[in-house]
Amino acid sequence: MRLFPLRFRCAPWLVAAWFALLAACSNSPYPDSGGAKEGLRREDGQPWRVRYGVASEDPRSLDPQVSYDSVSRRILEPVQDCLLEYHPFKTDPYELRPCLLAAMPEKGERPGGGTIYRCELKRGVHFHDDPCFKDGRGREVRAADVQYSFQRIADPKVECPVFSVLQDYVEGMGEAYERAKKTGAFDYEQAIAGLKVTGPYTFEIHLKQAYPQMVYWLAMHFTAPVAREAVEYYDGKVHAGKARDFFRFHPVGTGPFRIAEWKRNALIRLVRNPQYGATRFPEGGWGADQEELLRPLAGGALPIVDEVRLTTVKESIPVFMLFRQGYLDGMGLDKDSFSSLMTPARELSGKYRERGVNLRRYTEPSTFYMSLNMEDPVLGPNRKLRQALSAAFDAQTYLDVFLNSVPVVAQQLLPPGIAGHQREFRNPYGFDLAKARALLAEAGYPNGKDASGKTLELNFDIAASSAREREMAEFEQRQFEQLGIKVRVTENTFARLMEKLDQGSFQIASGSGWMADYPDPENFFFLKYSKNTPPVGKNESRYKNPEYDRIFEQMAAMEPCPEREKMAHQLTAMLAEDVPQILIFHRSAYALSQPWAPFVQENPMLEGGMKYALVDPELRERLRERWNVKPVWPVFVLLGALVAGGVLGFRSYRKV
Amino acid sequence: MFSYLIRRLCLSVPIVFGVMLLTFVLFFVVQSPQAMARKVLGPKATPQAVENWLQNRGYDKPLLVNTVPGRPFYDSLFFNQMRRLASFDLGRSDVTGRPLKEVFAKGVLPSLLITVPAFVVGLVSALGLALYLVFVRHSSVDLAAALVCVGLMSLPSMAYVIFGQYVVAQQLNYLPAFGFSLEGGSAVRFLVLPVALMVVSGLGAEVRLYRALFLEEMGQDYIRTARAKGLSNAAVLMVHVLKNGMINLITLVVASLPFLMMGSLVVENFFGIPGLGSVLFSAIQAPDFAVVQASVFLGSILYLIGLMLTDLCYAWVDPRIRLQ
Repeated sequence: MRLFPLRFRCAPWLVAAWFALLAACSNSPYPDSGGAKEGLRREDGQPWRVRYGVASEDPRSLDPQVSYDSVSRRILEPVQDCLLEYHPFKTDPYELRPCLLAAMPEKGERPGGGTIYRCELKRGVHFHDDPCFKDGRGREVRAADVQYSFQRIADPKVECPVFSVLQDYVEGMGEAYERAKKTGAFDYEQAIAGLKVTGPYTFEIHLKQAYPQMVYWLAMHFTAPVAREAVEYYDGKVHAGKARDFFRFHPVGTGPFRIAEWKRNALIRLVRNPQYGATRFPEGGWGADQEELLRPLAGGALPIVDEVRLTTVKESIPVFMLFRQGYLDGMGLDKDSFSSLMTPARELSGKYRERGVNLRRYTEPSTFYMSLNMEDPVLGPNRKLRQALSAAFDAQTYLDVFLNSVPVVAQQLLPPGIAGHQREFRNPYGFDLAKARALLAEAGYPNGKDASGKTLELNFDIAASSAREREMAEFEQRQFEQLGIKVRVTENTFARLMEKLDQGSFQIASGSGWMADYPDPENFFFLKYSKNTPPVGKNESRYKNPEYDRIFEQMAAMEPCPEREKMAHQLTAMLAEDVPQILIFHRSAYALSQPWAPFVQENPMLEGGMKYALVDPELRERLRERWNVKPVWPVFVLLGALVAGGVLGFRSYRKV
Repeated sequence: MFSYLIRRLCLSVPIVFGVMLLTFVLFFVVQSPQAMARKVLGPKATPQAVENWLQNRGYDKPLLVNTVPGRPFYDSLFFNQMRRLASFDLGRSDVTGRPLKEVFAKGVLPSLLITVPAFVVGLVSALGLALYLVFVRHSSVDLAAALVCVGLMSLPSMAYVIFGQYVVAQQLNYLPAFGFSLEGGSAVRFLVLPVALMVVSGLGAEVRLYRALFLEEMGQDYIRTARAKGLSNAAVLMVHVLKNGMINLITLVVASLPFLMMGSLVVENFFGIPGLGSVLFSAIQAPDFAVVQASVFLGSILYLIGLMLTDLCYAWVDPRIRLQ
């Protein structure tokens, strides 16, 4: 005899199935567990170490001669070693050390003027194994590969973004570019005159004039050796029925990792290069607080982790969620997550401190400012007026309101860490409203009015594409209008603002700034060099000061020394007094890392420094399980709601 | 029917041409190629780099007619773009140089994996609920449902996504807040939450709309006849109201079918689904004008296809309509 109808007898099974489904569910964003649960092990029996990170978008190009945006560089850095590299711990001042080169380049005089850098490659460094090579085995890196890279820089079809700079210094580079433009194709059989291969592992770089900054270019991917076979093999065409990728998406590098998998718009997986031996962990240079953590690693093999997984996450909210769940090893703080993670005292909130999350703040070698047009008939000849405008702008409040007080107020053009930066220096025309009013009166505009009683009117050009940018512009406008003057804000598209800056058709322009290509004062002071006026350069203020130019030219050609620093101080003082721009901030940011992935290096010239990254996968697995417990009560609530809804619906149905 | 189809296809030609013209004006006249280059290359770009970028993409050609001696008049931006679009050559990404045919082809499947289930589940649920509400119309349940539906309609889709991720993925830890995979059973795990949120976010508006459509049918004479014959309420609803209401529904439903391919901008971005919505979002951010232009063009073509399908379905489901 059946005690219950069939649907009631099925109920226990349905509930059991429901719980089985719940048990199988997981909030992990990864299809697998990164080797932790699969028991994947390294050759030495240790657990497989995966480092989880995010990329805000897909890399645009992984071609070493093209890659310029930070996302692409972040992925290229672990894949492609450079000739030199930044020391991961020495940031004040920054220091270079050999990477693919056996030693730092030897500098010599070039007959007829200029400089020669003699370089020697390390022996036994190989490109990654790849089908583009004979037998699929990566061949040894030779000096000819550096020649090929320099040729690619000059090839118009490659679109190297730094060609314009290098052509001014490297002998024959501009000529090679022009020849290719004329003929429509670059002749790779003809060497660049300024890159002489003197042996299988040795080469010389011939510069037309002294340019000590050349060593920094050797620490960038643009000059990194590239295998010609790889570029020719990965041509994006179909060969023997099989489509090959483009070289810019399939780099064949020499670095500590190789790209094992790239799911477009979703994931990039980098796996350790087992043959890697070009560099080792530094012997020292870190702070005392890191001694215990890093001493055991000194002189050790790199990379430390076996795999790096970078998930493409375009929105900031999911990044914060994944970090909280323990599925990301680190994250940068943005305005959305700032209030949840930080206390008003700019410390990590209690919940995250208890979890053992690490917090670091770092300042990038960058400076942001508003440009004042020195060729404008009102602003140009009136230094007091420019000084008054500068003194009227409260940069700290601007940072408090819009940027969570994270960046540092800029007192000078040079950011911290760059030789010549003066810690104690204070902008003589920093925010001081009383002083600003006095300066304005001295400028001929007491209370903002000229001699005829007419209010001074100035134009302020901004690039506005969002409500936030408009709010920022309104704030800036109000700051200036405290002086009693009238400021008209003109909203432009980004391209139109660039055009205005190029043409000099503005009075005050927002959004100017510079992020260092290399940590040298020349890379900032050239922004006010008269020969660098747009459209050829970035002296958007059109600042022309023969004395400034003279000192700049002298300083730019000098090797780092105390005298050079003195010159940098002189240039800083000139800019402070002439005020061709209103300084705002040096960009800073906070970064967080999980307890199992402590911070190792914090050099902002490196794009992540993946080869130095550490991780404890066992601790991560334990904490992830603890942080992601699935409660059972919502299942009962949901079942109850379904039953109640069903009963209610059925009763309504019966009533009709 | 066949002659109607041919006629509609012929009529589509000038419309497609109009779309191509409009796309050209939007992307090459409203803003100059130089402005595009400046945006793509960023503030550090030199004039030489801008010129080289334009030349390598053929954007340095005259806008409408080439008057350079020795060059054919049609070697201009306008003619080249028209020729390219007419042959459905989507070109290459301005930023990555990747062929757009490949970019779009790879994005279609992930987009369909969320939009098709969301569409089917959403449609079935909305139809079922709408029929039920018609059945219990003017009761307290109907009133409560109206309030809930208006509430659901009032929330922006972003709110559903953030709330869903916060509750289901972060507080309850049942499903992933982010991720995508096509491998094995894990694919379902990544799709459940985005699909469920898409269904819920569209449910309020759809239920109200379908309910209104069905209520209109309820007042018809044939319904009175059916009731007079002694048919049960359920039979009247499921057989007569649903079938006749479908004619109106087709207009709404079929036209939206081709758009399922274009994915969802918000859901794909927040859940990391590498579909076409995500591709378009990246292109707008980059900015990659070639991708945006191709998306606008494809969207217009899909819209035309949707309208044509709607007309054909009309004739198919309603014998009173003749396509002549």
